[in-house]
Amino acid sequence: MTKHSDEGTLFRSKKFTDWPTVKEALISKEIGGVFILAPMAMQLVADGVPIKVVYLGHRDGTGIVVGKDAPIYDFEDLRGKVVAIPSRYANQNILMHRMMDEWGMPYDSIDLREVPPPEHPTALRAGAIDGYIVGEPFAAKAEVDGFGRVLYHTKDIWPEFISCVMVVRQDLIDERRELVQEMIDGIAKSGKWLDEDMQHRMDAAEVTAKHYYFQPPELLKYVLSKPEDRVKYTNLAPLRADFDEIMELAFKIGVLSRRVEFEEYADDSFVRPLDQLDWNMGRLPREGGDQ
Amino acid sequence: MKRKVGIGMLLWALLISLGHIQLNLGWSALRKEVAILTGQQREELVIGFLPVT
Repeated sequence: MTKHSDEGTLFRSKKFTDWPTVKEALISKEIGGVFILAPMAMQLVADGVPIKVVYLGHRDGTGIVVGKDAPIYDFEDLRGKVVAIPSRYANQNILMHRMMDEWGMPYDSIDLREVPPPEHPTALRAGAIDGYIVGEPFAAKAEVDGFGRVLYHTKDIWPEFISCVMVVRQDLIDERRELVQEMIDGIAKSGKWLDEDMQHRMDAAEVTAKHYYFQPPELLKYVLSKPEDRVKYTNLAPLRADFDEIMELAFKIGVLSRRVEFEEYADDSFVRPLDQLDWNMGRLPREGGDQ
Repeated sequence: MKRKVGIGMLLWALLISLGHIQLNLGWSALRKEVAILTGQQREELVIGFLPVT
């Protein structure tokens, strides 16, 4: 979680709040890449934006949350209920439709509503919704605060679930390959470091809570440990079978304007075996983060 | 005469190069490239994120 890599390149993060601005920032080359929702990356490519998915942000780390005492015990019990999703372009939306297919429920049997993720827990607590599906730490928040429970973790209903992916501009891939490789190696090394030792996860929770997430460290520690495989940071190569399934489902439910082939939007040539990568660090440096 | 042609060609090449920097590259981008090449500044890559999950 240092600001620069071992090679000395300075990596800066920039927060965006809406999709059109991200698209413009990529086209104008203001940013080299972005962590973005997987179906959203596919739609950007369908719109002609020259980008490629080169790596994943994490695996799993999403939950379907309902009220602690609500009479909802399986997916069927969500019939007729209002469930918040982060975005129609989120893979969480695709998952809800995948589950409705599995349970033989028509797509209009659950009222899915787009709600900004930080507002999911408060909306559930206020009774405005019956449940929500979202990435961490917002699923854990309802549990920790005592008003919600996780009905399903994605690891149990769609193992190795993909939420955010790393996309980079095609011109960077063509002209600055070494820079992209350096970044991907850094993500892979930090993921391996996180997954190899629970103490590393607790250390990361302390640092990221203060400098990046602006959330209580205890909440992030809960996310990273209860259970341990709630979210994973290894197996982050973009695999064709995973993406083909997401793409077909997204097209089927009208999230994608057209089918996009794996080669159009993904480049897995930066993935290196984890045994070739190591991050020899016991603890993370206690320095300030980027904005 | 040869000297004049040589100087003319050099000036023309210089003019075209300056025009290229002004119109296509930008002076600040050039300064940054030079600083990175000479080791005075670190290479930089900006990565965006959308906190929507």
